[in-house]
Amino acid sequence: MGVVEIEVRDQETPSDAAQALESLTRLRFAGPLTSVTAPSLRAQVRTAVRDGQTRMLIDLQAVTALDAAGIAALLEARRVLEAQPSGTLVLRANGVVCRALKDTGTFAAFALWNGPGM
Amino acid sequence: MTSVAQPGPDAPSPSSTPPGERGSIISRGTRVYLRTLTPADLEHLSAWVDDPFIERMVGSEFFQSYKHVWDKSPAFFEAVLTDPTQVVLVIEAYRGWTKPVGVVRLFNIHLLEGYAFLETIITDPRAMKRGFGVEAGKLISYYGVDVLGLRRIEAKVYEYNTLSMNSLRRNGFRQEGVLRQAGFDGRRYWDLVIFGILKEEIESQRKKDKVYLPLDPPEGNGREPS
Repeated sequence: MGVVEIEVRDQETPSDAAQALESLTRLRFAGPLTSVTAPSLRAQVRTAVRDGQTRMLIDLQAVTALDAAGIAALLEARRVLEAQPSGTLVLRANGVVCRALKDTGTFAAFALWNGPGM
Repeated sequence: MTSVAQPGPDAPSPSSTPPGERGSIISRGTRVYLRTLTPADLEHLSAWVDDPFIERMVGSEFFQSYKHVWDKSPAFFEAVLTDPTQVVLVIEAYRGWTKPVGVVRLFNIHLLEGYAFLETIITDPRAMKRGFGVEAGKLISYYGVDVLGLRRIEAKVYEYNTLSMNSLRRNGFRQEGVLRQAGFDGRRYWDLVIFGILKEEIESQRKKDKVYLPLDPPEGNGREPS
């Protein structure tokens, strides 16, 4: 009979994933991410890439609405970042964001992280 | 041509509504500008959805949804705002118009595949044949390409709606096919004519960016032979 070991981690110890996330540039966005505000996200991502920050985590936990323009901005961010050597994009999404991504069939297009360590 | 801005002094609105409640201007043309929907627009929508002429010419699912599914509920505004599969913009004409002249929208937006459907509705009969619908369709097509990353836009028109067909052709749309007897106006079945435009064709139109005068003769003569 095998023994199953359950690793009990100290809550203070960050997980491997959380440690990996530490290396990402963080961009936090709050409020509606819509046709009115999406250009700002695009601009921030482009500025970050110009500054050599090509591994990014966009935190959308505080986003209250996400429309087609907002999702298009996220898709563009992914395209721009992944076109860079070792570029990557991870989204931290809430329910509003996940629902919008699901409704538009874009859910699988993004790497999502909803765990601790943020 | 596509720009995002808060309403400015050159975007006259005769109403005394505070700027924040007038919506945000998404795109400006020479005759019309497109702005976001506001709760106050529901009053206009309520009147438009009861207009039998608009219903017959367009048969808009958007209007039908507001009238029949949402029963003209104010919650419709929030539902539209948070629907990521469509972009609904209100058409405002620049001078001498005290109310919006219509609605233009991209719907069934498929962001990954890069296509969507276009619907342009000029609701005020006095605003028809002035090039407002043509320009509104052009502006939202640019928006679709520039902001949403679309590479193809499609539109369906009832075979008797020559005005819409000509508007689409003026914007470079091509007739791509006919859905035989796919539309029903309450009395009989009608063919639906399918139009489409590709990103390159939109870009080509943008380069021309010719302003069509209202007095320009209509192009074509309705539906092309299949």
